[in-house]
Amino acid sequence: MSLFSTIQDKILGRGAPPTGAPSELSDAVILKALSVVRDPDLHKDIVSLGFVRNIAIKDDSVSLEVNLTTPACPVKDKLKAECETALRSIPGIKHARVTMTATTRGMPVNTTHPVSASLGRVKNIIAVASGKGGVGKSTTSVNLAYSLAANGAKVGLLDADVYGPSIPLMTRPVVPSGSATNMVTPPDAGGVRVISIGLFNTGAKATILRGPMAGGVIKQFLSQVDWGELDYLVIDYPPGTGDIQLTISQTAPITGAVIVTTPQEVALIDVRKAISMFETLKVPVLGVVETMSYFMCDGCDKKHHIFREGGGARVAAEHGLAFLGGIPLDPLLVSSGDNGEPLAKARPDHPAAKAFQSVAGAVAAQVSILHEQNRDVLTTFSLEWKN
Amino acid sequence: MEQHHENVRVRNIRQLDARTLGITWSDDRDDRFDVVELRRHCPCATCIDEWTHERKLRPEDVSDSVRPVRIESVGQYAMTVQFSDGHRTGIYTFPLLRKLVTIHN
Repeated sequence: MSLFSTIQDKILGRGAPPTGAPSELSDAVILKALSVVRDPDLHKDIVSLGFVRNIAIKDDSVSLEVNLTTPACPVKDKLKAECETALRSIPGIKHARVTMTATTRGMPVNTTHPVSASLGRVKNIIAVASGKGGVGKSTTSVNLAYSLAANGAKVGLLDADVYGPSIPLMTRPVVPSGSATNMVTPPDAGGVRVISIGLFNTGAKATILRGPMAGGVIKQFLSQVDWGELDYLVIDYPPGTGDIQLTISQTAPITGAVIVTTPQEVALIDVRKAISMFETLKVPVLGVVETMSYFMCDGCDKKHHIFREGGGARVAAEHGLAFLGGIPLDPLLVSSGDNGEPLAKARPDHPAAKAFQSVAGAVAAQVSILHEQNRDVLTTFSLEWKN
Repeated sequence: MEQHHENVRVRNIRQLDARTLGITWSDDRDDRFDVVELRRHCPCATCIDEWTHERKLRPEDVSDSVRPVRIESVGQYAMTVQFSDGHRTGIYTFPLLRKLVTIHN
């Protein structure tokens, strides 16, 4: 009982509590009660993770803030409910108000890095890649970006597919105007900042570039675009494992990669190559997203697995990676992309939009896990040997 | 998990004695390296043939008196060692170092 008597002393020291108010309420009691609430991704309780802030106790009411590592936290509502239950279990508490906030964790900014002018205030860079084309990689990039933004995150979207830029069609940003400096400001497209070679090259005109030129364009996107403050920059990679993929991964400090695949074996072979590429480049793979997972017709609720079932989850398990979720094949997903109205933004209640929301939560969780694992690692070191 | 192993990072790196380097990895594994053996296992293209992977550096080519001068990180995945014999081209990736552990506890 020493804890409680100390706390009581503390409260008595502050002066007698108002009549009727329980005498044992204090920050310590609140924190102790909340320490049973665990973050399922970071495997620690929210008190030792330092999430609990601004505790205010008034009579039989307590209000506080839980500051998560990402606004797209998939277990936000669950944590909130668990906190409220834990608070109400404290004798003397009748009302508990928990506000969920977030400060996105990010990599340390290295001001000497050549891309710091462009990416210095970008907390996380997420590469969206696939081994082969036509698997819905751009659809995934776009809807991932808008799902993260829908949670309140500041998001940018870089179309690195120099030869087949599809992001402008899918998001319809206004064409950026030149600025006084040689930095380009990415235009806003409904809440997401977007850059694509398609913004500088109109209509059906093909981008005909030699490899080194294409690499030059990508380097410009990563060094001469003023992205400003972003929680997440989503990079839509060109398909495959070639020159541009290497250039991006070596130029920008990529936080992690999301691999997109369809369920059938022929796509999975190429996924293994994409995973292997990122492993070679030491870019952590955050997990696998499966597109065209199933089709639901308008006549029944049955999921029709047109391209076989479970391929994405299998390839993820094979490599010890997280399966980030499956996206249904849906005509609205396709038409909303073609109309420049990303489904995640235009129809958030649609099943495919909800699937993307769930993927975005899983991606954000993996990023937070990565930062938690790397919290005390040395990003750079230099050791002088003593004889 | 493969991902974790592949992306292992350095939590702490220190000199333990005259010829022993200590590294604590992000998964809590602790390794000790004999710096002379590190020099003998240099992975650079001069020491290992790029195409045949044949080791061209013979153990007896490296004197027991060789020591590092300085050890520095390379990107997020490797370290490089400048040795007292002037050799400094080896890039020791973290996964390589974990395979190379030259002193077993």
